[in-house]
Amino acid sequence: MSVASIRNLTVKYGNFTAVSEFSVDVDEGCTGLLGPNGAGKTTFLKTLLGFIQPASGSGHVLGYDFIAQGREIRQRIGLMPEQDCHIPGMTAVQFVGYAGELAGMPADQAVRRAHEVLEYCGLGEARYRNVETYSTGMKQRIKLAQALVHGPKLLLLDEPTNGLDPAGREEMLELVQSVSHGKGINVIICSHLLPDIERTADRVIVMTRGTLRAQGLIKDLKKIAGHPVDVELREDSDAWLDAVRGKGATFLERPARSTYRIQVDGLPEDAARLCMQCAQQTGAQIRGFHVAQRTLEDAFLEAVQSTGPAISTAPPPIVQTGDANGR
Amino acid sequence: MIVLDRASRWYGQVIGLNDVSAEIGPGLTALLGMNGAGKSTMLRMITGQIRPTTGNVTVFGMEPFANADVYRRIGYCPEIDNFYEHMTGRRFVYHLARLAEFGHEDARRRTEEVLHTVGMADRADRKIAGYSKGMRQRIKLAQAMLHNPDVILLDEPLNGLDPVGRHEYIQMLHQLALHGKTILVSSHILYEVEQMTSALLLLHRGRLLATGDLRVIRSFIDKHPHKIRVETTEPRRAAALLAGLPNVVSLSFAPGGEALQLEVNGPNEFYDSLMSISLAESLPIRGLSSPDNNLESVFKYLVEK
Amino acid sequence: MAASPIADLSYRNYDGPLDPPLYRWWAIARVAIRDAFRKKSFWVLTVLGGAWYLILMIIFYFVQSFATTMMANRGRQILDPTEAAATMFKQVKWDEQFLQAFSMGQLMFFIIALLIGVGTVANDNRANALLVYLSKPCTKMDYIVGKWVGIFVPMAVAVAVPTLFFYSYCFMSYREYGFLDDPWLILKLPILILIPAAFHASVALGISSMFRQGRTAGAAYAGFYFFTLFFTKAMGTVHIILQQNGSSTKLIDNLFYFSVDGVQIGLAKVLLHSNGGQIFPFSGPGMNLEKFVVPEPNGLLMAFGYLVICGAFVLIASTRIRAVEVVS
Repeated sequence: MSVASIRNLTVKYGNFTAVSEFSVDVDEGCTGLLGPNGAGKTTFLKTLLGFIQPASGSGHVLGYDFIAQGREIRQRIGLMPEQDCHIPGMTAVQFVGYAGELAGMPADQAVRRAHEVLEYCGLGEARYRNVETYSTGMKQRIKLAQALVHGPKLLLLDEPTNGLDPAGREEMLELVQSVSHGKGINVIICSHLLPDIERTADRVIVMTRGTLRAQGLIKDLKKIAGHPVDVELREDSDAWLDAVRGKGATFLERPARSTYRIQVDGLPEDAARLCMQCAQQTGAQIRGFHVAQRTLEDAFLEAVQSTGPAISTAPPPIVQTGDANGR
Repeated sequence: MIVLDRASRWYGQVIGLNDVSAEIGPGLTALLGMNGAGKSTMLRMITGQIRPTTGNVTVFGMEPFANADVYRRIGYCPEIDNFYEHMTGRRFVYHLARLAEFGHEDARRRTEEVLHTVGMADRADRKIAGYSKGMRQRIKLAQAMLHNPDVILLDEPLNGLDPVGRHEYIQMLHQLALHGKTILVSSHILYEVEQMTSALLLLHRGRLLATGDLRVIRSFIDKHPHKIRVETTEPRRAAALLAGLPNVVSLSFAPGGEALQLEVNGPNEFYDSLMSISLAESLPIRGLSSPDNNLESVFKYLVEK
Repeated sequence: MAASPIADLSYRNYDGPLDPPLYRWWAIARVAIRDAFRKKSFWVLTVLGGAWYLILMIIFYFVQSFATTMMANRGRQILDPTEAAATMFKQVKWDEQFLQAFSMGQLMFFIIALLIGVGTVANDNRANALLVYLSKPCTKMDYIVGKWVGIFVPMAVAVAVPTLFFYSYCFMSYREYGFLDDPWLILKLPILILIPAAFHASVALGISSMFRQGRTAGAAYAGFYFFTLFFTKAMGTVHIILQQNGSSTKLIDNLFYFSVDGVQIGLAKVLLHSNGGQIFPFSGPGMNLEKFVVPEPNGLLMAFGYLVICGAFVLIASTRIRAVEVVS
């Protein structure tokens, strides 16, 4: 079952069309939402939260119609916003407990649950201090905690590693990964940092200018047809390249410093053996070898700059008969 | 071009920069560090806004503080995002050109040239208040280039840009570097910087951690043996074959069963040995990589005690 | 497989009970009320707001003690102290004492509203806290009602405490002096307490929603308050002048009540059915201020104006509180 299903959504702010004829299915699991600024990602997320009155279109989120049943949707969604949103003058426990009460939890349950979630997010004794005294990393954790407190089925994360130092980023990504895999929570991550998305998400949705440009599994989007291999040498070696070509490989390009992309028939192991033989002959040293993949960034740039129909690596959706709410 | 000689700067008790010595020449150099590491302090010293409390900073051999001769030859893109919002981009750049001692005609000409270089020529007639983040960053770069400086300093220029904008901005910087300019870019996002350049300056809590090429820096970190991952369908056999090598510090099997993770000292010898063993013993290898040969890992190693 | 002795402390889903949506506003209100009661300045201002009651109590006490002397000063010899006191106290219009104290306390009520009221929505605006509220199953109505009640309750408490304290004191001490002459007094007092509470709750909420900082909202409200107060005072002076000249004061009498203070005092006058002439309960014969005081206004007009103002500001709040840019 898909987590969210949007059909032909068009949203206009006055004369400006933010999203036009946008249709997408969000699958279970962890999905990255990518797109340049102004692509309509914000509008898409607002739609998922049930805030939008679209000009046209329909869809459902977690089984509820996003036009008519916004409140039920928000009961089951958690949002971790990009900006700071804590209420000054409260401690972390109070704030997260308050968020829980706003979601309808009775006061005592809210406090108990706040502690549980803060523990999970890695806030120890600090949870009894005022939120204003927190560092950026801790503020991010609180934002995540208030999104999780009411046990949502869908989590929306907007730039979760914003402003974090490398260690903090590492921990936050660990947290996101553990939440999204195995706990039954679906996650949509919105971020400009593609390594973050690669690390945590299995699929991506790419939007530009209010339309869908690409969607599918990350590993599918990164595949390069024909399975060429990237070979990284200790230093540039034309001799090696000639030797390899002499044995039947086709040279494609130089994706990075001292790295050659070549096309060789056969399995990667055979290619590796070929490369190593040539390296031994010519005195080069192989330091890296792997099946060539586009980086997610390249895949993203390509999707964004292309003008043809949207790239999708998913099988075409089954045409639904019946109303949008039906399953 | 830019020389820091044991430069330090503190603000009351708070240390900004502590005993930093570095030389920055033509090309694209990246200044890296977490927030609060001292990057902005260093840039402000180089642009002559503040003086070092001890030590020297010289640009083109001169002290930059309140020195108009230096100012004429450097361009600065500060981190702050404040403009005269009611002006159009074109007017803003034009006014700054006039401030840079250009006459009316020259200012106009330079404005157009510079807007063209940053790719804003067709969009510069809108009010700045309506600009996206990417457009604002470009205008900042445009004004820094007006007087054709030899040195351009950029403080967190990629802040807030989406991947497309980032990509294009980095291309622009590469172009400028190719023309022989000295470009110093500061950033706290390691991943962005890795793609930009190999000349690095790593700062942490006001001190200089390391300079130069990432690989070279990595090879000097002895405390952490190099991690190497060998993907093979026969990890156990591979382990048996490789365990005998003296460079190998430890071996472990990756979860999933299709790879062998090693830690080695002296990677150079190891790679040669690996090749010969693999060929001699017909050990199939599908992949070879070094997981900690990236900026993030290097930074982590340098920063931890 | 035997159950593991190690408890599973990883993230668990929440399957517990949920309150129905009707109670959402109370969660919001409770936080605001708790914060208000925690402030020491709130209680200090409450006492100051009831300062006139204290003064009254002191005056009554002295009159009661020195009744015979005072009667003698007025040329009447009554030897029995109780009888003397009773005669003195006949002058007191009890209902009007509440009106005077209410009138005197207006400034304090306003300051309390500044303290606890104008920051509510403005601070949320600044902290982007609306993101938290509106991303939960919490409607704008819940938010507004919750915030409104969060100002209303503390305000009501601030007005009620001195009022009811004075009432009980008089009930105990001055029953025989005619305190209970008006049987409706005990019912009128809750309405009296309601008037400033609801007014300030509505207006503060509206003004707070227009700004991003509590301080600016407070400044705006203060400006509004003092400007209208100035207007009222001016009208009061015009009233006296016109009366000296013998002209009609009808229009002025109604305009007089067009202020933050005025609307409330006007309603109070209507409620307690008094013109407010007895500023000092024991005025001597030469101190009749009745003719300087603007008489009781038209009850319907006052009620209507009051409701319109409250409604307008709540409407302002309602339009200003939007599902703001939830993500940037």
